[in-house]
Amino acid sequence: MAIVDMNKISIIGLQKNKEEMITSLMKMGVVEVSDFIPDDQWSELVTKDETESDVATLEADLMRIKSSIEYLSKYNSQKRGLFAPKKEISTQEYNEIIQNREHIWNIVDQIAHYDEQLMQLLSEENRLNNLIATFEPWKPLTVPFDVENTKNTTVLLGVLPAIADVEKMKQNLEENVPESYVEIINADKEQNYIFLIYVNSLENEVMTLLKQYGFAKVSFNDFHGTAQENINKARQEIEKIKEKRKEILEHISVFAGEKEKLEVLYDYLLIQKDRKEAIGRLAHTNNVFVLNGWVPRELSEKVEKTILQKYDCIVEIKRPEEGEEFPVLLRNHPLVEPFELITEMYSLPKSTEVDPNAAMAPFYFMFFGLMLGDAGYGLIMTIVTAIILKKYKTEGLMNKLLKLGCLCGISTFFWGAMFGGWFGDFPSRIGITNDKIVNGIWFNPVNDPMKLLIWSFVFGAIHLFVGMGMQGYNLIRKGKIWDAVFDVGLWYVFLIGLVLFGVGKGVLNDIGKYMSIAGAVGLILTQGRSKEGIIKKLFSGVLSLYNTTAFFSDVMSYSRILALGLATGVIGTVINTMGSLFGTNVIGIIIFVIVFIGGHIFNLAINVLGSYVHSSRLQYVEFFGKFYEGGGKAFQPLKIKTKYINLKNEEDV
Amino acid sequence: MAWYEIFFNGKALAVLGAAVAVIFAGMGSARGVGMVGEAAAGVVTEDPDKFGQTLLLQALPGTQGIYGLLTAFIILTKIGVIGGADVGEISIEKGMLLLASALPIAIVGYQSAICQARAAVAGINIVAKRPEELAKGITYAAMVETYAVLALLASILAVTGIQL
Repeated sequence: MAIVDMNKISIIGLQKNKEEMITSLMKMGVVEVSDFIPDDQWSELVTKDETESDVATLEADLMRIKSSIEYLSKYNSQKRGLFAPKKEISTQEYNEIIQNREHIWNIVDQIAHYDEQLMQLLSEENRLNNLIATFEPWKPLTVPFDVENTKNTTVLLGVLPAIADVEKMKQNLEENVPESYVEIINADKEQNYIFLIYVNSLENEVMTLLKQYGFAKVSFNDFHGTAQENINKARQEIEKIKEKRKEILEHISVFAGEKEKLEVLYDYLLIQKDRKEAIGRLAHTNNVFVLNGWVPRELSEKVEKTILQKYDCIVEIKRPEEGEEFPVLLRNHPLVEPFELITEMYSLPKSTEVDPNAAMAPFYFMFFGLMLGDAGYGLIMTIVTAIILKKYKTEGLMNKLLKLGCLCGISTFFWGAMFGGWFGDFPSRIGITNDKIVNGIWFNPVNDPMKLLIWSFVFGAIHLFVGMGMQGYNLIRKGKIWDAVFDVGLWYVFLIGLVLFGVGKGVLNDIGKYMSIAGAVGLILTQGRSKEGIIKKLFSGVLSLYNTTAFFSDVMSYSRILALGLATGVIGTVINTMGSLFGTNVIGIIIFVIVFIGGHIFNLAINVLGSYVHSSRLQYVEFFGKFYEGGGKAFQPLKIKTKYINLKNEEDV
Repeated sequence: MAWYEIFFNGKALAVLGAAVAVIFAGMGSARGVGMVGEAAAGVVTEDPDKFGQTLLLQALPGTQGIYGLLTAFIILTKIGVIGGADVGEISIEKGMLLLASALPIAIVGYQSAICQARAAVAGINIVAKRPEELAKGITYAAMVETYAVLALLASILAVTGIQL
């Protein structure tokens, strides 16, 4: 009972009731409206509603409100925590706010207007800053930019590349054209800045000479006063801009109190948009409309009754045909539910498949704990997530994630206690010598890594066998019992036999020998059964034994359990060692506390990530690889989806 | 003591092994984390909300450096440089063995960090276009890490297996 059974629902109702009925369906929140694709029989009768442009308009409106809300959230002193629930709001309040939406639009428009002004100010400020940067090198020049040429002389500013030898150029000019004056104003990494006066009649000579040094004219004709004066002026203007900006931001901040109303309007439009989208999936004639969709089987009757009570319409509910795929809704035991998150990240199961969550969850739980393997970290994870879960009403993804953290923390605590990991080797640092604490209830993998390695392989083999079992279960469900026996049962016999033969002693060894031989013979005889001709059958049968290596390389992959488990413990120990370098005096203890807290938080974070990634990988690659297809489509019922608020008094089903 | 014995003795070789593990694995991780960081910064300029997601991917090639440190720590503890265990004189042969056992994580750690970073950069592209598929990007990058884990395992088993 993991994938919820669905029924097909078709409703034919009156056009005039359409909007209203969609709204009631939304409030029920259990019907997925699928796209109505008219077949030949229908296409002459019905047309589809065109709501795309409405939806686009609503989306544009949503964008506008959103940017206003973002502005206001800078000024709203109430910070919304990461885990804060949506605000509860009564229908009455909601309706009041929606009725006054002109007022809210007004605010949105004003904020948009201010936003535009702010943008203008920003670009003006950028322009001025660039100007200052341009004038900066000319600061030593005390001659104003607007000094005019006289009748016979030209006054000129210019730059030479940094590599040019300016001193030589100056000398050269004085020798060849004594009727000129040149002054080097400034030099930086890129350029030399020069000031030049020459007699008009000698322009050609001066220019030819200067060109050799890569001279380029610079013109500031539009500016009055010296560089310094211009810089000062620009700075003053920037000051003014800053003040103006402050003023505008103050104007905006006046609306901070209205933020909640904006949020309500946002959610109102969001609901409108969803409704329009749903209507776009329907088809209609002049007077009636038709809706196709899916509804969970156990709710079908209730939905049918509710709709029939309210509206004049025809409701037809039927089971999907054999093998027909339907949208997937998972329902699992509350302890398994958080692990759905891991499967969902891979892919949802198809509706025709078995939900793997119940089989996967215990292993994920165990592997995560083994990899993190520190009782102290486990305690922190469980306590922190439990507090957050208790204090805030979280929803959806965040809720599942926190629960997952809480559960995995328990597993981490358990394995940490088994292996003697308490914030690394913290107990032995403070003088605890109890062997069960220092070296764990079971054993300490740092002292005996081989033992944990072998256990990792054992856990891995069990995991893989369960995966193969799931494959067998899938085959049996499809009625292919013999396939299950040949493809799974014989492998069990063969592999278990091989393992017993490898490690067992005495009778076990003998049993293993015969099991593996029996299994191998069985596999050779059956694995080629789809091939034609006795030779080909036998040949593929023999070849299939090669899959044994695949099994054992899969088992090897579980060695990561040891590696990651050791990593957490050893890094924890490194942190404790670093902290205790300064001895047991007061300063030493203060330093220890600081290093201890910072270091272990770092270690916890990096290893939680590692454990999550690697336990997921063991599920995705090793476990799911055995039997799982995935590729199901999630059940997305039409419902009231909001971002900021929760409406009270909804019609519940 | 002949002058070359200062450089060429058991303890020095073992410390060299620890150093090699930290140096190469660390270099690989530094390069890898840097590569992913550059790509991530590009995505975050467009959409600052993706910081958390990209940070996850950036952290992935960082583990090799930690594995290197881990190996170094185990070696240093074994020869008594850390923790002060009295192991007496370490022969050149044993020192050489410890040096050799650091090589898997040093070399594979270096290479796998960079390869993993490439996969993670590709994962950043996934996040840029389809943030909901982050887990798949992480899984691709994590596949590479398998070989760093195996190398670490080989190094740890070798170090703990050597009898001083």
